Amino acid sequence: MKKFDVGLTVGLFMVVGIVCLAFLSIKLGRMEVLGSSGYNVRAVFTETGGLRSGASVVIAGVEIGRVKAITLEDYEAHVLLNINGGVEIQEDSIASIKTRGLIGEKFVDISPGGAEEIVQPGGRIRDTQPAVDLESLISKFVFGDT
Amino acid sequence: MRVTRTFRTMSSLLLLAALAVPALSGVPTEQVKETTEKILEVVKDPALKGDDKAGERKRLIRVAADERFDWQEMARRSLGRHWRSLTDEEKEDFVALFSELIGHSYLAKIQGYTGEGVRYEDEKVDDKYGVVETTIVTSKGVDIPVLYRLKNKGAEGGALWLVYDVSIEGVSLVNNYRTQFKAILSKSSHDELVEKLKAKLPKDEECKTDDESSASADSQ
Repeated sequence: MKKFDVGLTVGLFMVVGIVCLAFLSIKLGRMEVLGSSGYNVRAVFTETGGLRSGASVVIAGVEIGRVKAITLEDYEAHVLLNINGGVEIQEDSIASIKTRGLIGEKFVDISPGGAEEIVQPGGRIRDTQPAVDLESLISKFVFGDT
Repeated sequence: MRVTRTFRTMSSLLLLAALAVPALSGVPTEQVKETTEKILEVVKDPALKGDDKAGERKRLIRVAADERFDWQEMARRSLGRHWRSLTDEEKEDFVALFSELIGHSYLAKIQGYTGEGVRYEDEKVDDKYGVVETTIVTSKGVDIPVLYRLKNKGAEGGALWLVYDVSIEGVSLVNNYRTQFKAILSKSSHDELVEKLKAKLPKDEECKTDDESSASADSQ
């Protein structure tokens, strides 16, 4: 009887431990195992400045979604954004790529517009602003000044 | 003297020809080009040079810009959600004020242009929306990318492409004003915003938008 109990307990601990590990890795790795709620919209940028998949999508500083995928099509960056359900994005919203601080990680900021029409799931945010390329701006400033 | 004149005409013709050849451009680009060229003509016209002609230059540039820029669309987008809370009269007044503001802000920059020209790089059309990418070549050799976002507001089958946003060096005009207006509106009322904007215009322009202030000293 005792041996059986010990074995069972150990086994149970093992299972609980593995489940916790799995949970931790999924959470930390931000993987979407159970399928994501929310809907997808696209935005095309001429320059993402190193935006990564999984980066935040933000309105007024509040995270309302994540970057799902970034692909290159026709030499432009097509960014797929997963937006939380319940958050509406107007047709004339402007999506910009901003940096945390001045040299931090990139994220997508959406500035809400005033249009009546809402971007539908699978739709596209037309008006986008590329990431600021500090280096080229500095070089233009320097070059233009001479 | 004669030789240099003919040389100048020939080289500008060649330049125009060179610019014309690769342009297998669509209607949006053509329409943007039309307006840009009209404005540049006014800026470069020797008959319109000088301080005494400033008013005339401004008027001509404004007429050309009005044909291509959809001030209402730009003003609406710049106000964002706030636009919906305005009365029709407030909307009208704001559009007029906004167009004056933009005209005034960029007039000096446009008139200071003595550059080589404008290159029409690319055009993308998606149903009623179009994007025209251009590069302004300055005399210092620095290229300034300017992107126009247009919407086709022509009647069925027609094409009247009007600009609703301009991005210079990737920075959108609408987004810029939207951020600023939002910040001001979070702390003050619409009327206060209007007052703030009116304060940015020179005195003689204020006359057109405000009955009270009389035509005071000439600022130009």
